[in-house]
Parts: sequence; structure tokens; C-alpha cells
Amino acid sequence: MLDTLSLQVLGCHVRVQCQDAEIRALLVANYGHMQGSRGPATLQYTVARQARSGGFLVSRAGREPLSAADPGKLLFLFEKEMTVELEKLRPDLYFVHAAVLALEHAAVMLVGESGSGKSTTTWALLHHGCRYVSDELGPVDLQTGEVYPYPHALCLKDVPPGPYPLPKNTLYTARTLHIPTAALPSTVGEGPAPLAAIFFLQYRPEAAAPVVEPLSKAEAAARLFANALNPLAHAGHGLDGAIKVSARVASVKLFSADLMATCALVRATLKRLF
Amino acid sequence: MNEPPDHPKRRVDVNVRMVDGEVVVLDRQSDLIHQLNHTASYIWDRCDGQSTVAEIANQLAAAFHVDAHTAVQDVATTIRQLHSLGLLESWSNLPEGP
Repeated sequence: MLDTLSLQVLGCHVRVQCQDAEIRALLVANYGHMQGSRGPATLQYTVARQARSGGFLVSRAGREPLSAADPGKLLFLFEKEMTVELEKLRPDLYFVHAAVLALEHAAVMLVGESGSGKSTTTWALLHHGCRYVSDELGPVDLQTGEVYPYPHALCLKDVPPGPYPLPKNTLYTARTLHIPTAALPSTVGEGPAPLAAIFFLQYRPEAAAPVVEPLSKAEAAARLFANALNPLAHAGHGLDGAIKVSARVASVKLFSADLMATCALVRATLKRLF
Repeated sequence: MNEPPDHPKRRVDVNVRMVDGEVVVLDRQSDLIHQLNHTASYIWDRCDGQSTVAEIANQLAAAFHVDAHTAVQDVATTIRQLHSLGLLESWSNLPEGP
């Protein structure tokens, strides 16, 4: 008996046939905010149990099934698979590996390598008046300068520091912690919002205090390009898109340190920029 | 590694954009992106295979109001860096750098 989960992501209808209620509950915890089923399904998956190992298989017509040993790996693989396909389905969007927050009517991006603290900083900023948009994907419409929401559950690798405890219904897997959007301390940014600022994030745990440094448009474009996920879908091998985005927004380098102080600095910087 | 050429020439098979007076170079061969500051961008722009290092240094000295010695050192250093990044085309000879 298959239990269907329908997601509406970036204007695409993703349909997932889940072999059992537990698999569905896992995916709902992660993608619950994206539930919806407008139009015919553009992507269809089946997620089933592997008979012997107790792991999972993610299947899509026309390709080899993906094997995941545990729920954490299932979420990781499914996410990777779906986002790659979404990049193909929406080549008009410039996908950036970034966290995105909304403040008033504008969107703010946190860009940085894996492990730079995008999600942790996002989690903390949600306690300081920002709305959640994404902690992983910033798809930008190059024509309008708007960034689209991708509000999966906020995903952390470690328990965050003191003043920002995890909610009770956090989903714990062997590798990651997932905070469902319903448990976030803020609302979720709905619909595209104009991108107004980009913080290029670098975590400096040894620093006494966080620091913000200005960034030229050229450096911002280069850094943005380095974090683009589908540059080849765009003009100039993606370079023009990065330049276009960075030309429109304020960009700074953020060397983060103590989380609370970092949030205060981000808020103060945004106040100064806007 | 060879010394930088006397007539440095920037590679033509890279994607180059000027953003607010700074050059951004996308080198798909090495899968690297580079952002040059204003001085390096000025020098890059003059690496046309025609201008000598001395000529570039003279122009730099006039444009940025620096003395000739500093300009020669800056140009030589920048050209060596552009070379080490694989952004220049050919090599022959150049006076020793600073």
C-alpha cells in the first residue's frame, strides 16, 4: 500500500509514493511546508524499504534507484536528487547554495561553504525577527531579482549553542538534526521576495567578536559564482548571472563568531544597509 | 617556471567581465574564478602582447601617481601572479622581480 505525498516546489509538482506511513512521516517532517498538488506531477518518486538491510530505495522512472542506509542518508539523497532535477526543470532560475531569510519585504542571503554556519546562523536569526525562507537553496529570478522560497526543515549538523535551544519535535537522524518549519520561532517567507543583501559567511570560532567587511561588486560576483549550482544553464557560463545579482544588492563579508553577537551584527548591518 | 614575458599577453580563451573597474576572470580550463583589484585590472587590460612591461609600468605610474620604481615592481609582481594563475599566454624574458 503506497501513501502519496505531493509537494509544490518552485512551481513544480513533485509526487512521492511512500511505501509506508513512517517514510511519509519522515518526508512530511522535512518537506511539510511544501505540501501541495497543483497541476500534473512534473517529478515522481517512489521511496520504499530495502527488504534485507532495512535501508531505503529512492526510485524515479528512467534511472537507477538510489540506496540509503538510514533515514539521515535518505533525506540527504532525496534532497540532492530532487534539487538537481529542479535545477533542470527551472533553468531560468539562478540557483545559489545559500541560506535565505526574509526581513520585512526583502530577502537576505547567507552564502558560504558547507560548514561555514549558514544553517546555524539562520536558526539563530529566526529568533531575532527574520522569517525563514531556506537554509540550503536560493533560486534567484535574474529578470526580477527575486529569490524563491525553498522552505524544507531547517537542517543542522550539531546542536546549536545555548540561547537557541532546539524545539521538542526536532527530527534527529544519525547525521543531522531537522527542525520542521512548524516548530520554527518565526513564520515562513511565502512567495518570491526581492533579494536585497548577501552576507558571505565565514566562521571564525577563535575570534573575540564577529566582523563585517565591505565587498566590491566584482568580489561579490566572483564569490556568488563560486556558489552557483547551475551556472552552465546561464549566459557567460553563469558569470553574467552572478554579476547581475551582485550588481543589484548590497554585499558584505561576515566573519561570524559568538552566535548572539553575530545576529546582533547582522541586524545592525541590515539596518545600516536598508 | 619561466620568467614572465617582456610583452605579456592575457589569455583570450577565458571569460572576462569588468565590474566597477575590477576585472573578473572565469577560467573554465582550471575551473577557477579570479577577481582582480583595480591595479591588477589596469595591468591585465594592458597585457595585450604588444605593450612591454616597462611601458605598462610607465602608464601605471602616471595613472596611479606612483614612482617609476614602485610601478615596475607592481607590474612585475602582478604579471608573475597572473602567470602563476595561468592567465597569461606566453613566456620569454623579463628582468628579475623585486
